[in-house]
Amino acid sequence: MAGARVEVVLGQRPGILKRLAAMAPVRVFAISGSESAEIETLIADLELEQEIVLTDSPRSANVLLAMGEFPGSMQESARRIHDQLCGPRRTLWLRQNVSAPSEAIFPKAIREDTHCDLALLLRKIHRDLLTGVEPSEEPILPDEEPALWRGVGPYGQGGTGMTGGVPYGRPMPETAPDRDGLALDQLSVRVGPFFRPFPSGLTLALKLQGDVIQEAAVAENPFDAKKLNPDFESGDPFIRALSEPVPVVEMEMARARHHLHWLCNALQVHGLGALGLRTRAIARSLSPGMIAPIAQLRKILRYSRSVSLVGAGVGVIQPDKIRDRGLGPVARAAGLREDLRMTDPAYQELGFEPVVHAENDVRSRLWQRLDEAMQSVTLAARSGNATSGGGGRVEGPRGVITLDGNSLPLLLGLLPDLLYGLEWGDAVATVVSLDLDLRDVRSQRVS
Amino acid sequence: MISYGRLLGELATIALVLLAGVYATVVIDLWAGRMVARAPVRAFRALTFPIRQTALFLLQQRATTERPDAPLWALAPALLAAIAAASLLVIPFSSQTSAAGIESGIVYFGALMALVMIAVYLNGWSANSVFPIIGGYRFIAEALSYEMPLALVLIGAALPAQSLSVSAIVISQDSLWNVIRQPLGLPIYLIAGLGVAFWGPLALPDAADLAGGTESELSGVQLLLWRTARIAVLVAVAAMGAAVFLGGWTGPWLPGAVWMTLKTIALIFIMVGAGHLVARVRLERFVLVAWTVLIPLALLDVFAAGAVVLAGSPR
Repeated sequence: MAGARVEVVLGQRPGILKRLAAMAPVRVFAISGSESAEIETLIADLELEQEIVLTDSPRSANVLLAMGEFPGSMQESARRIHDQLCGPRRTLWLRQNVSAPSEAIFPKAIREDTHCDLALLLRKIHRDLLTGVEPSEEPILPDEEPALWRGVGPYGQGGTGMTGGVPYGRPMPETAPDRDGLALDQLSVRVGPFFRPFPSGLTLALKLQGDVIQEAAVAENPFDAKKLNPDFESGDPFIRALSEPVPVVEMEMARARHHLHWLCNALQVHGLGALGLRTRAIARSLSPGMIAPIAQLRKILRYSRSVSLVGAGVGVIQPDKIRDRGLGPVARAAGLREDLRMTDPAYQELGFEPVVHAENDVRSRLWQRLDEAMQSVTLAARSGNATSGGGGRVEGPRGVITLDGNSLPLLLGLLPDLLYGLEWGDAVATVVSLDLDLRDVRSQRVS
Repeated sequence: MISYGRLLGELATIALVLLAGVYATVVIDLWAGRMVARAPVRAFRALTFPIRQTALFLLQQRATTERPDAPLWALAPALLAAIAAASLLVIPFSSQTSAAGIESGIVYFGALMALVMIAVYLNGWSANSVFPIIGGYRFIAEALSYEMPLALVLIGAALPAQSLSVSAIVISQDSLWNVIRQPLGLPIYLIAGLGVAFWGPLALPDAADLAGGTESELSGVQLLLWRTARIAVLVAVAAMGAAVFLGGWTGPWLPGAVWMTLKTIALIFIMVGAGHLVARVRLERFVLVAWTVLIPLALLDVFAAGAVVLAGSPR
């Protein structure tokens, strides 16, 4: 009904309204698949554009920005996300090699490679869409119920017994004891693989009572090592350092940028979008020794007590579970002095001492990465021509990496116990604090 | 006898004031966000942002979910907007203008702010989707924790006036504003106000960790109405704060309405700025702080205000 009324309004004065809408900021919902090292940079730059808004939900976006290749298990979800965008809608699919064959996940999408001027392209798509130059895309999936259930069972609820039905193909909520011993409804939900605060591809199967997690399971990683694009790693100085010496300045600047980009995402999740953008801008213009803007950011976070507000006492990991496992900042935030750089002659010459925090919670991991970013910028300024690497093991920004291993499987394995009993907000903060990247599938190569 | 012409005029004025307040708040929020981000602000783009955004939402289709409670879903933003508009009725923008001179205006305002909880929960529940309903749960869980201190500091502000009328409270600040007379009052009121408008550190029901929470399934006109109504509540909270703590329309040289507007904008700026600088609080922590710190401080505020009134009254 409301839609019909809007049509009437549009019918009366289409020109002005459409022109004004075309001048509005472009509302984009971004989803990403594999081969995304370069694409991540593009999206980071996109956030700094004043007239482009990355939305938390696909509902209020007009442009779906799909990036990279989507493994088979993510394609259905990607199509669903597409159909959740309300019209008028358009899809832009960015791929490193736009001419390479691909499955028709988005049949009507505009396809571009990663060298395009993304902000300009998005504005053009938005303008053409809103002024009616380009038509809105039709839904990809058929508008039908996810499962046949109507009329099945004695009450027509899709199963047997009063509570045994599966209306819409989903089981009815069951009751289970809550943390206070009361029997409450338990809701089964799956979150992911394109939930914005989570790393792309992460899907959690949850049982919730209210917003408290009673059970959490991590779905299988959709990214496959056999299909790993070698280009994904080519520009990463830490991967190069596995087999050849790399300038310390290059590695430390990459580490600092990595931590600042992570911090930006974390701040956005915690409701500090503007400070997040400031962090992103610092990361983009970062140079060796440029410590002042990071220190200023740290001061703001300390005085506003923001870090304590979101993370004090949340997501605590038992140190025994992560000791000597090469978990990098996560381990050091738990008070463990573990860092391969301590034994590296190049870093020893620079007087390197690892930054360590003791609280072992979300707050601690946030301070840890911020302080490591400052340390890296300082090290980069002092390192001169020093090089490091070539030994097959490197201290990366997420922890120790080798040619066929990383910390991802261990961190994913920790999640079910870590999330149990947390409220949803704390669970999201905890997942974000671990800095997971499911696309980094080197560990799968062993098997 | 009711003069329908006058009634319509006053309703139109309320709507106009509210819309102007919402427009100004959106621009202030945008500007403050860019300042915090250390990003350049293009004045023309910032000033026209609300118009362009409105046009886009008007063109966007309305989302639907699997089996929503459609009437209640449509009602939620209207209810929230109505609460904001109705609360403005008792706020005097000058010594002559208060749409409804209700003698118990403070009680009326407090009662309306308690109804915000119903609108937010309706919006979350009726979408029949996971994140909106969790957003609704969150608001219900936090509501009492901000409502109690809000009500207490408003009572404290009414004590020196010995009246529940908002106009009388403004007049009682002729010699000294309540912000100085009751230093605890305004800070507690603003924190509670952020809770009422679920803004900034207390934007729990519409948070990013819920993909927008109660508004995560909204689009188009419905999203426009919801966001407008939410900002209207913030404007109403700021206007009431300006009246009961900052002396309302009183001030030298300028007309009363201008003073009231400036004071309201100042409070909006503080609340919006807090939204950009202070992270969203964890629900559990907020409830703990509210009951162990805010409410005792609000009670202290009331007792101190009462003691001052008793000390000054003739024996």
